[in-house]
Amino acid sequence: MAFVYRDPFDQLQQELERMVDAAFGPVGRSPGVYPPVNVFDQGEAYVVKAEVPGVPPEKIDINVEDDTVTLRGERAFSEPAKDAAYHRRERGHGQFRRVVRVPSRIAADEAKAQYRDGVLTLTIPKARDARPRRIQITS
Amino acid sequence: MTTASELEAKPKQKVERRESTRPGAYFQPAVDIFETPEELVLVADMPGVPADQVHIGLEGDELSVEGRVRPEEYEGLKPVYVEYGVGGFYRRFTLGEMIDREGIKAQMKNGVLVLKLPKAQAARPRRIAVEAA
Repeated sequence: MAFVYRDPFDQLQQELERMVDAAFGPVGRSPGVYPPVNVFDQGEAYVVKAEVPGVPPEKIDINVEDDTVTLRGERAFSEPAKDAAYHRRERGHGQFRRVVRVPSRIAADEAKAQYRDGVLTLTIPKARDARPRRIQITS
Repeated sequence: MTTASELEAKPKQKVERRESTRPGAYFQPAVDIFETPEELVLVADMPGVPADQVHIGLEGDELSVEGRVRPEEYEGLKPVYVEYGVGGFYRRFTLGEMIDREGIKAQMKNGVLVLKLPKAQAARPRRIAVEAA
């Protein structure tokens, strides 16, 4: 049998696709609340990612409280030149407010946010008693 | 409450890249395309794509735009709740205008590509002065 190398990122991409299909069905995904989010488990922390291209970080308001993350902001409409004629217009604009629940209790005051290339990444440590623990066997 | 100015999340559309030898998922970026007398402007949402991972091709009248995300941003992450797939972006366009290739400018900022394609002199509208005889 041939050994097929599987790139970890390739595997993650397939896993994400499978989960999106399971949640929304492979066809006819309808528009949802903006922005779309993915929640990951990093062991000690939850990582919440949201795609917000074209929204500068200073226009995003982030609130973390109990087990809830709230993202608010606005994607501005850039007025084109007066003599411009549109061929396609697919990019939306407007205000957004998104509430995301994380699966277990978190240490909200230790949350960190990073914005890179239009993706917002929140790293929120789990509450101390919700973190995985390795139990040593004592002899 | 829904107002006219409320932003909706449009589902990402997967695209097939038969000609690609690279594995992985590709999505179709949402674009705005507009035209002025001097240029065509393409604006594409490609979240997660750094400036050095954008490739723009122009062959004949076919324009292609490709962007790739950083896999290392996902190391050690186990998905628990998922609303969108992650991967590269790819889209092709047929240009109806003659483009001045040397004058093409591309800029990437906050995950948005702005591509300016100046029209070739021959394709720009010209005003013909009518002389009074």
